[in-house]
Amino acid sequence: MKTALRLLMPAAAVFLTDCTSSKTASTAAPTPAPSSQVATTDALDDYGSTEQVSDPIEPLNRATFTLNHGLYNAIFRPISKGYTAITPKPVRQGVDNAFENAKFPMRFVNSGLQGKFDRAGKEVQKFGVNTFTGFGGLIKQSDRIPSLTDVPAEDTGQTLATWGLGHGPYIVLPIFGPSSPREVVGLAGDYALNPVNWLFKLRGGAEKTEWIPSAVNTVRSMPDQLDKYDSSRANSVDPYVSVRSVFYQNRKAASEQ
Amino acid sequence: MNSRAFLFVLCALAYSSLAWSAPASEAEQYLRKAVDEVLATSDRASSPSALAEKVRPILHRHISFETMARRAVGPGWRQFTPDQQKKATQLFTTLVIRTYSSKFTPGERPVMTYQPAVAPAAGRVDVPTKLVYHGSRYSVTYRLEQEGSWKITDVVIEGVSLIANYRTQLDAKFKSGGAPAVISSLEQSVSRPS
Repeated sequence: MKTALRLLMPAAAVFLTDCTSSKTASTAAPTPAPSSQVATTDALDDYGSTEQVSDPIEPLNRATFTLNHGLYNAIFRPISKGYTAITPKPVRQGVDNAFENAKFPMRFVNSGLQGKFDRAGKEVQKFGVNTFTGFGGLIKQSDRIPSLTDVPAEDTGQTLATWGLGHGPYIVLPIFGPSSPREVVGLAGDYALNPVNWLFKLRGGAEKTEWIPSAVNTVRSMPDQLDKYDSSRANSVDPYVSVRSVFYQNRKAASEQ
Repeated sequence: MNSRAFLFVLCALAYSSLAWSAPASEAEQYLRKAVDEVLATSDRASSPSALAEKVRPILHRHISFETMARRAVGPGWRQFTPDQQKKATQLFTTLVIRTYSSKFTPGERPVMTYQPAVAPAAGRVDVPTKLVYHGSRYSVTYRLEQEGSWKITDVVIEGVSLIANYRTQLDAKFKSGGAPAVISSLEQSVSRPS
């Protein structure tokens, strides 16, 4: 609703300049257009230039990108296929739900750090509903409550973006893929805020079972990760550039939400 | 601000929202019809390749592939000969249709929720939707433009614009080898199995 109003303001300004004194107009005109709108018209321009991406180590990044592609196909894809073969779809959905529900501290803390207290409150409600009426998060009961179905997931990278930090140069990380200095810090923050990793970290991971939650989390997220990777490569002209563009656009949209 | 001025601003706001919501809702109605038509057709397809063939004529009616190709190439388009433009549009169309039809499994219908449309400029309307498919939620925004009738000119999935994505790739190709490089890279992509 608020954004709809903000979108209408420029229109109102135009209307006012048309038919009233400039004094009235100047009170309405200074409303800046939201930044997402600027991007919208830019992408729609016929001959406008493309968004500038800082990729100073492109040759190294391309090499890592190729290496990753090989690793995904040789190691991760077989594991992912094995996992989907031995677990029925409802089970996988339940496991995904439970792990996403457990990531509540990441979303809650980052909503708060961005001053989105309304969203932080909704995260508490979601966590409560899913944990207590959804068997510890296996069933996403919150999807039945309209106000809780579309709460954008906040993460540490988005918090840093909200605080005004830029990406820095593009980096393709081994295994993890597309990233930037800001997103690397973001990943570290998300890792620390994910309770799934707490047992492993607190005990140093030396004991018999502490590594299990982190490992299960990695495996269960593989089918989805590979799916996203495949679709950002599919039908591309230059897979490297396509995956990079998807990364930047995706992170930009997420941090503006 | 005195009360009369305030009242005036309120009226102005009401007026502008009226003026802007009319094309928005018209475009949204158009999109709903187009999407229903595509989904009804893809429902009846027996295989993914049959699906691509069946939806092709329908997509041609609702999507402005000429506008899309022009924008996907970007600044270099002006230096294409008419023949090169035609060839590039043809290849690009094939890629877009393949991208689109590869996302659907015949017989499985996505659940779409439409959100209020916005008009970023005259003759342009963005319709944001939420899509639930195979148990996952996606945000998909359709960008429509008035070209005689309403036509889809871009699709933005999870913040990623199809046009912006192709433009970063094709612009680099154009800078390295002009129109022939753009066309041969599109040809390569089309001949690669998706």
